Amino acid sequence: MAHKQFRFLGVVAAAMVLAVACGGTSGGGTPTKTFKIGLVTDIGGLNDKSFNHLADVGLEKAKAEFKIQADVKESKSGDDYVPNLTDFATKSYDLVIGVGFLMQEAVGTVSGTFPNVHFSIIDGAGTDAKGVDLKHSNVQSLFFKEQDAGAMVGVIAGWLEKNGKAKKNKHVVGAVGGISIPPVNHYIAGYKWAAKMEDPSVNVLVGYSNNFTDPAKCKGQAQTQIGQGADVIFQVAGGCGLGALQAAGQGGVYSVGVDADQKDADASVIASALKKVDVATYTAIKNVVNGQFQSGALTFSIANEGAGYAIDNFDPPAELKTELDKIQAQIKSGALTPPADIP
Amino acid sequence: MPPIVRRLAGGLAMPFGSVVFAFVVGALIVGVTGANPFSAYAGLICGGLGIGCTQGENPALEISNTIVFVIPLITTGVAVALPFRAGLFNIGAEGQLLAGSMACAAIGIKFNTLPSPILLPMVLLGGMAAGAVWAGIPGVLKAVVGAHEVVTTIMLNYVAQWLLRFLIIGGPLQLGPGTSKSLPIGDGARLATLLPADNSLIVLGLPSSVFRVHTGLLIALAAAALFAFLLWRTSFGYEIRAVGQSQKAARYAGVSVRRTIILTMLIAGAFSGLAGAIQIAGVDHNLTDKYFSDTTGFDAIAVALLGLGSAVGIVLASVLFGALHSGGAIMQSDAGISSNLVLVLQALILFSIAANFVGAIRRGLPIGRKPSALPPELPPAAGLMSEAATAPPETA
Repeated sequence: MAHKQFRFLGVVAAAMVLAVACGGTSGGGTPTKTFKIGLVTDIGGLNDKSFNHLADVGLEKAKAEFKIQADVKESKSGDDYVPNLTDFATKSYDLVIGVGFLMQEAVGTVSGTFPNVHFSIIDGAGTDAKGVDLKHSNVQSLFFKEQDAGAMVGVIAGWLEKNGKAKKNKHVVGAVGGISIPPVNHYIAGYKWAAKMEDPSVNVLVGYSNNFTDPAKCKGQAQTQIGQGADVIFQVAGGCGLGALQAAGQGGVYSVGVDADQKDADASVIASALKKVDVATYTAIKNVVNGQFQSGALTFSIANEGAGYAIDNFDPPAELKTELDKIQAQIKSGALTPPADIP
Repeated sequence: MPPIVRRLAGGLAMPFGSVVFAFVVGALIVGVTGANPFSAYAGLICGGLGIGCTQGENPALEISNTIVFVIPLITTGVAVALPFRAGLFNIGAEGQLLAGSMACAAIGIKFNTLPSPILLPMVLLGGMAAGAVWAGIPGVLKAVVGAHEVVTTIMLNYVAQWLLRFLIIGGPLQLGPGTSKSLPIGDGARLATLLPADNSLIVLGLPSSVFRVHTGLLIALAAAALFAFLLWRTSFGYEIRAVGQSQKAARYAGVSVRRTIILTMLIAGAFSGLAGAIQIAGVDHNLTDKYFSDTTGFDAIAVALLGLGSAVGIVLASVLFGALHSGGAIMQSDAGISSNLVLVLQALILFSIAANFVGAIRRGLPIGRKPSALPPELPPAAGLMSEAATAPPETA
């Protein structure tokens, strides 16, 4: 009986060897003069409905426009960042893009090993183990002016309060932050500044969940703010913030999403403050194709359409639309500058 | 056919059959979704084993990357296999690994000025001690009050994960506000890489620092050898196997079942803790948020089962799982097939082992084994392990 099994296994093994041999010969034949772009996602993966997904959207857009070979590697764990970046680097890719600040240390390490390969990292820099920017000349940081996006949704919140179009109209709005770190505070700064500009009597509540992943914690923060009369809740806490959107839905008030368009997260979401990672990724690739790669920070804002807002489950009155267009134009022209620190 | 060959074939049919089953079904899944399974597996083999690469991959680099994944799988695989032999199901290898990594990092940061000959043994032994404590708690509970080790080890995984979260987010090991990692451990606490970590030294066409294989490989192989020696060449190993086969018979033969259970768990935890310490000392050099989503200790269960609980089998199964993990990313960028296929393959292998298709086919229809073959108080996988226990002892 065992004899038969061995024969079966032998046949399978032979088939697999043949298959591999065939697969090996069918590859290759890469055309010349094609730019090679490699994208490495963080552990969120391509379907995270946020940074990684948007980076891939930008990559696909670039693929449609330029003569590039675009390859993606999804990281399954934090252990994968270095090997994934290294693989693209060893194959002399023209640009290797890392998505998200989780990859800072890996980009710092690999960019040091391969000084002739260009790297871009979304929302981070190439750092050492202590988080100090190594300032390698082959690394480009793609940063965002979160305060621009925060200001646009702040205009919506303030305008609703001023004109009595919110749910409770007690001139109170809230923001639920994850951890008090610069990107989170930039968003909140723009939000508070613009809400006050629209409605000087508004009270902007700011709370932190000290967490980016646990929805229950942000839900609690949001419920506290709703209890204090807030009727627009701006979440700035990633996955944790989904709990804040939920709390707004259950409390019968409006909410505002963050980073990506969170229209589908909850029916209460009237708008989202956007970091346009797709625009940033596309721009970084375009620069490389045009031979214009620059190290250091490249900042995306309303002025270069790398930040903005989306109107979600809400039909804004014409006056609000006019107001939004006016403020956006003023930020774009530099007539208004949302602050980076919470006023 | 000589009986030894027959027994070997019988023992190897289960793991090999499971892997073949997984790859055949995986190929069907890839084929049905409109992609080419052959190019998928070519990418996997290139990325995992450095064989047949067509797109400029460096074979040595691929092998190096795979070995980095293999090292913790061997040590945690042993930590799952040893309790299996005693009829215990250690699902807590992940928590024990985390305990080891936390202890290693804490010691390596606290005493970061000490020289390597003192500090390196300190962090490795500290990691082993922490892992042993983490596994010893379920061991004592099992031996004294009969608490089921499956439940207690799973729960301690959560405790370890949240303890880690506390330590590096707002706790004493946090690097700074807003970060979710610790300070790096001292230079003396680091395991050397096999090749110097030097960007200017070119080895096999690449800077030698890309080859991350570290001396933890030797420790892991030594751990596997120690496991085999302990199990087959010592009286304590005999007691472990006796308890695993039948607690009543072992007790009748004068073996202290309680002592054996506690000691087995302590040793298993030390192996897992060692795996965590090696990861910190050899690869990461600091505790980071990546350990929140680490799955090594769970993959180790599949490794131990696929390796039939033997040292050689665990090493081979670790190489397979390490190669799958490492090859997934190459497959994705070369063949355009989502690296999630790797998770599907791993799940299919485990599924095939658990369902014991091969065993059922070997015994002939009707499918399944007689229920009376298993003592009712044993956990489900113990049947597999007692079957494995009848395989010939290896001499590794």
